[in-house]
Amino acid sequence: MTIHTIRPSSRQNTVRKTLVSRDCGPSGCEVDWLTSRQLETSDDIEAFIDFSLKQGWGDGLPLIPPTDARVRSFLAENDRYPDEVIAKMPDSSECTVEKIVINAVMAGAPVDSLELIIAAIEAIAEPDFELYGVNATTAPVYPGFVVNGPVRDALKIPYSYGCAGGVATRANAIGRAIRLTMRNVAGQVAGVTSQTTFGSPGRISGLLMGEWEEKSPWAPLAERRAGIKGNAVTAFSTMGTMNILDTTSTGAMAFLEMIGKSVAYPGANCFTPSMEYSEMTIGINPICAEIIANEIPDIEDVQKIIWKFASLPGDWLQDLHRGQVEAQGRIREDGRIYATPEPKDMVLFVCGGLGGLHALGLHSFGSSLSQTKSIATVVAASEVRASA
Amino acid sequence: MALIKVLDPTARRLDDNESPGPDAGIIGGKRIGFRVDQIWRCWDWISENWAEKFREAGAEISYWRSTNRSGEEGEEQDRSLHEWLKTIDIAVVGLANCGSCTGWTIRDAIAAANTGLPTVAVATRNFEDFAHELAARGGRSGLRVHVLPYPLNELAREDVEPVAEAHFKALVDTMGASLSEQEKAA
Repeated sequence: MTIHTIRPSSRQNTVRKTLVSRDCGPSGCEVDWLTSRQLETSDDIEAFIDFSLKQGWGDGLPLIPPTDARVRSFLAENDRYPDEVIAKMPDSSECTVEKIVINAVMAGAPVDSLELIIAAIEAIAEPDFELYGVNATTAPVYPGFVVNGPVRDALKIPYSYGCAGGVATRANAIGRAIRLTMRNVAGQVAGVTSQTTFGSPGRISGLLMGEWEEKSPWAPLAERRAGIKGNAVTAFSTMGTMNILDTTSTGAMAFLEMIGKSVAYPGANCFTPSMEYSEMTIGINPICAEIIANEIPDIEDVQKIIWKFASLPGDWLQDLHRGQVEAQGRIREDGRIYATPEPKDMVLFVCGGLGGLHALGLHSFGSSLSQTKSIATVVAASEVRASA
Repeated sequence: MALIKVLDPTARRLDDNESPGPDAGIIGGKRIGFRVDQIWRCWDWISENWAEKFREAGAEISYWRSTNRSGEEGEEQDRSLHEWLKTIDIAVVGLANCGSCTGWTIRDAIAAANTGLPTVAVATRNFEDFAHELAARGGRSGLRVHVLPYPLNELAREDVEPVAEAHFKALVDTMGASLSEQEKAA
């Protein structure tokens, strides 16, 4: 038996650079900072939707035309140069601030969401996120994001009722901006660069939610994972949202057993032999979290309990399935296969409405590892002008 | 309706190497490396079949198995792949038989081709176009791709062996290889 444990690599997305020389100083440079190709089209919204689909830019929903003026206006409210390369994407295309802003404008994202979008892109571009596989796979996987810190309220990112989808908020446009960037720069286009068999609604709007830190009995996710206090985003790969209903349990152990057993099923990515390990992300509602923490205050103990139940008996699998997993050394001495190598690989956070009763299963893809990044704070130009 | 100008939201690498890379040439005396994975047993069976034929033609065979591509193990995989590529003369890289495994097959094939090795990627029919698309996006649009039927992994070994037999000559052609001096002369 050889369990392949998850340890972060030392590889980093270290592409940060600028495309325009700063030798002459920003004010002295007579360069056009926007270098994207410009195309002529109609200003009619319906015509622009058709145009964007023909160009391969769009997702089929209405888009705001990214005119030069709109892009410059968005940039003017942020402390970023458009030529800054944020990340190198799987096919080595360079994701610049300019490309992010163009996609953010198209999605209708608020101007003060740029740093969050940049942090999200930085996170998924880390080699350990394994975006190359996430993009290409037949699975429905897409990056999901959990936001911590005051930026949740500033950007109206939902963390209570309907946090995984359905709340009327411009945060939806932030999620879509990330999705459009995924489509147009990072290369996740169904039938072209992605072989996804079914896809997912999350590939249109994204999955961007907050952690309800104020209701969580534990430290915020970003602090637990990366020691980051304040604004931060954690990116994780997810096959979609899986609901776990429990109207019956009483007490922490019963809830945790139900959650653990529910996320463990043979067709879950974490039990296939295609990879020898994966993570599991789970959202726990505030009511349940409080009940759990009253009995089990340490979240590491909570992780251990869920982990113990998130397992399958090896002899439950068909021969061919069991044979491959066994060859990988994943059937342990107790005869069980565990969803993740270790309890720490259960990524837990608190979110959801006060109706309780449900937990949120977010199965990861293969060996894609979640990444946490801090979100830079920007004083908007309009605020600076107002205070001057 | 008025006309407006909009900025292109897409980015794509601009460089491309359209060359298929060097021919594999005469097989005798060469070290042929098979890149295999841990998903597709059909690819293990086919590569074993082809390896035996290459041995009979005087080649040495080695294998490199792709496993986990993230974390410390992924870092080690990168290192071991590049070390292995130094030990072979020809790379046969498979199997592109799903989305992510096509991704990694092509990525590893490009890594091999970029070292100057004669390289062929192996894909099943359903993933042929995807393999070419990813090769182009990876900067090697001319990458050689040999295509096997699909579905394949769903077959029993006795049904996969005839596929290996039937495709060997076509593989050799795709590689730009010849099994003997006489064949090359012909």
